[in-house]
Amino acid sequence: MLKSSLKMPVSGAVKIWLGESSSRQRIGAIALCLALLSLPFVVHLDGKPHADWQQLLGRLHPLAVHLPIGLIVLVPLLEIYGKARPALRDAAAFVLALAFAACLGSLTLGYLLAYGSGASGPIVTAHLWGGTALSISVLLCLFVRPSWLSASAAHPANMLYPGLLASVVFTLAWTAHQGGSLTHGANYLTQYMSPAMQRWFDFDSQLASTKGSGSFYARHINPILDTNCVSCHGESKSNGGLRLDSYELLMHGGKDGAVIVAGHPETSLLLERITLPTSHKLFMPAEGRPPLQAEEIAWLKAWIAQGASASATALSGVVLHEDTLESLGPPPQPVADYSALMPQISQLALGQGAKLLPVSSLPSDGLILSTSNVSATFTDAQLAQFERFAPYIVEAELGRTAVTDASLATLGKFTHLRTLHLEGTAVTGTGLAHLAALPDLRSLNLNGTRVTAAAATSLDAMKNLRHVYLFNTPAQPASTAESQQDSARKTE
Amino acid sequence: MKQHPFCTDTEHEDSRSALDAVVPQMQIPAEARQKWIELQTRRQFLGRSGKVLGWAALASLLGENVLRSAAHASDTTDSQQLPTPADLKVPHFAPKAKRAIYLFMSGGPPQIDLLDYKPNLAALYDKDIPDSVRGNQQLTGMTNGQARFPIAPSHWAFQRYGKTGTFVSDLLPYTGRMVDDLALIKSTNTDAINHEPAIMLMNTGNMNAGKPCLGSWLSYGLGSMNDNLPRFMVLQTKMNAKENNQPVSSRLWSSGFLSSEHSGVGLRSSGDPVLYLTDPSGVDREVRRKMLDAVEQINHQTLAELGDPETNARIAQYEMAYRMQTSVPELADLRSEPQSTWDLYGPEAREPGTFAYNCLLARRIAERGVRFTQIYKRGWDVHDNVTGVLPMLCREVDRACYALVTDLKRRGLLEDTLVVWAGEFGRTVYSQGGLRKDNYGRDHHPRCFTTWMTGGGVRTGITYGETDDYSYNVVKDPVPVRDFNATLLHCLGIDHNKLTYRFQGLEQKLTGTTPASVVKGLLA
Repeated sequence: MLKSSLKMPVSGAVKIWLGESSSRQRIGAIALCLALLSLPFVVHLDGKPHADWQQLLGRLHPLAVHLPIGLIVLVPLLEIYGKARPALRDAAAFVLALAFAACLGSLTLGYLLAYGSGASGPIVTAHLWGGTALSISVLLCLFVRPSWLSASAAHPANMLYPGLLASVVFTLAWTAHQGGSLTHGANYLTQYMSPAMQRWFDFDSQLASTKGSGSFYARHINPILDTNCVSCHGESKSNGGLRLDSYELLMHGGKDGAVIVAGHPETSLLLERITLPTSHKLFMPAEGRPPLQAEEIAWLKAWIAQGASASATALSGVVLHEDTLESLGPPPQPVADYSALMPQISQLALGQGAKLLPVSSLPSDGLILSTSNVSATFTDAQLAQFERFAPYIVEAELGRTAVTDASLATLGKFTHLRTLHLEGTAVTGTGLAHLAALPDLRSLNLNGTRVTAAAATSLDAMKNLRHVYLFNTPAQPASTAESQQDSARKTE
Repeated sequence: MKQHPFCTDTEHEDSRSALDAVVPQMQIPAEARQKWIELQTRRQFLGRSGKVLGWAALASLLGENVLRSAAHASDTTDSQQLPTPADLKVPHFAPKAKRAIYLFMSGGPPQIDLLDYKPNLAALYDKDIPDSVRGNQQLTGMTNGQARFPIAPSHWAFQRYGKTGTFVSDLLPYTGRMVDDLALIKSTNTDAINHEPAIMLMNTGNMNAGKPCLGSWLSYGLGSMNDNLPRFMVLQTKMNAKENNQPVSSRLWSSGFLSSEHSGVGLRSSGDPVLYLTDPSGVDREVRRKMLDAVEQINHQTLAELGDPETNARIAQYEMAYRMQTSVPELADLRSEPQSTWDLYGPEAREPGTFAYNCLLARRIAERGVRFTQIYKRGWDVHDNVTGVLPMLCREVDRACYALVTDLKRRGLLEDTLVVWAGEFGRTVYSQGGLRKDNYGRDHHPRCFTTWMTGGGVRTGITYGETDDYSYNVVKDPVPVRDFNATLLHCLGIDHNKLTYRFQGLEQKLTGTTPASVVKGLLA
């Protein structure tokens, strides 16, 4: 009952509206197509923001586009299942008509958004033409559909409508992707792909160019702009005619002139915009995106103040955390996976003796040889038994154990050691030269041993050794080591 | 105010008398056994009966054999074996710090007089604090009746220290000397305005009692580096009767819903560090061992019968106590300390129970691989007579903190030890109970207080966060308690969102249900 009552008005309305389309309707449709096609030339996107009301309405575009998307996707489904249930075919005509109306609405809002906010660039253009082509295709679908319904199976017109519909769906997907790239950034889909996949999509080629260069701009300024600004001021979308994706374009500026005045942060437009109150109309990053962090602003300011150079590698007064990490030397050699030895390691953990504690849950972080349970009874012989675990041990806690100089030779085989504790042991330092075989050793604790200054000189050649603790030894007697003395050696 | 009795002491006494009653009989009488079963907690009963129903339903579907093997598996995993750090996959990433020492300044140190320099306040002496600054904040019952809120500038001058030129009060000259090694956090803030909720929030992430504290979470997550000492130790500083001492209770080092072996073990501030540490006359080490073996057997029987995981905790605690009989005297024996130690910590460090002594002990504890040591220093609750009490407090604390950090540094321990200095809140800029040129009082202030941290994982030589001109509101980079604790856990290799324990239907964690974040700016 319900079905028939719905069926009548729907199919009736469609027939009245389309019928066998009259010449007047055809002329109207062609005129509409031409109007749509000429619109981009009449209302030129000049990259300048215009009236606020345009943006106010325009910002509904990302919301409204989902209506035609849903309707268009529905049409092929209705046509296919309509074979079995004719009522769905009738609905298809209605949905198609609705989709066209929704397309026109979205197109209007899209125009308002782009024109109002001053968006421009290749992706904006692509998205615009995609939307226009989509609307026209949907309109064409409306016109060819009646002949498809009435044509016999053998007639060539039979293929026209399905083919057009398929192209509509394809255009829709492509246009939607362009739109997504505008809102989320061009690398939104590929960002978390594996490098191999990215290569396949050829997306990382332009990213690679700035990486690896050692200048302050390349390492710090470009990444800041890249994360915060380039989605609207880049190759794909260059609002205000401004692009910030390369040094030359950054210095060139936009429609309002230069944004960086070398040596004068106070007159640099870019800095002014990012430091306005967040509620200000001209504040950047716009559209509610998070403001830049204080540190990022400070770096930009310092970089501009000191000449905004493309090649300078360091700035005075800017302490970079990263630099201190770099000066720690090359990364240590990776530790092999000890998972296969886990049964033995767990067995040790349950026993009374020395233990191997994982640094973290990641096997690549290695193991710590811990002797604090048995310190006084842990001897050279016991250490030798741990040699088979040497490739996995990154830290040996031998403080206050009974090991002697003889163990230094053994320790020379623990080539992955990064930290070595020998404090409070009987080590005198005669074998310290063996430790030269430890390329990754960064910290060596010899507090309270009998190591002399002369013996300690054998450590001088170890480039990566950052800290040697010699407190309360003949090399640095406790009496002379004033309380505020920093006994840590820094390799400069 | 009277010092709160040590929880661990009384517990020890209880367990001892229980032991005396049980050991001679060697077998639990039937009525006692019945009593035990009746005493099952409601939660345990409901939890188990729920499982039983589930298994019964499953059995009817799958047949009895499947049930039998599955029930066996569930028994061994659920009640007998507690998860180890390896099961928990902790540390989640390579930690910068392996252990931590937390210097807790109970009572709420006045940030304006110590570390949060506000030179502009001198000109505002006795002016009322503007309403716009105070807003509609609810005050404590101690000052909400005051007719005026007159600004009390700090009585002490501040000097610049170190390469960073950080301002530190003249009350803390030693802290000034090490300021380049610290990360000062001026924007710490809390939600509670009174001691008990605030100190609970700081320690357990929740204002209500019953949640595990930071040290218990670390004990649970990181496990032990030294089986002869507890993983979590608490040192209380002897009370100074001239100071306003707020009580500190064992709730602060409670393991909450975690197994009670993760509770902090307190060392006494006078006499033997642990009561009954030495065997009584007539009981030698071997007899003690035999007795403990017998008790352990009984406990295993109880465990098999009731399946209460707390029985496991009790077995572990007896064993720990036995090992502590030798490890603690060695720990507390300071005779081997070189003269340089006493030069550094000062003569006060020779007297057990002083803050300096506790700092020295904390260094020795850290050397021995204890995961977490917390030192409580009470008396910072300066509601009145700030100029009389504060210099005293600072003398007790300043040099000892400096000595601890310096000692850890020269011994190479600061590389992988996190040191934290914090109270439960700050104090008001306005004076409580009248204002004179030479004296004033300060009330509780939760909106901002200054803390510091240093050591493994901490970015030192920085000041993080800013307060307004009145040291009243945070104006930049606020660090709420949950973020503070998340950052501490991060330094120790723990993702605060991943170290959880299912209790009362919630994946409980130290940082609570409000989303917390690690303060990246504080990390090295």
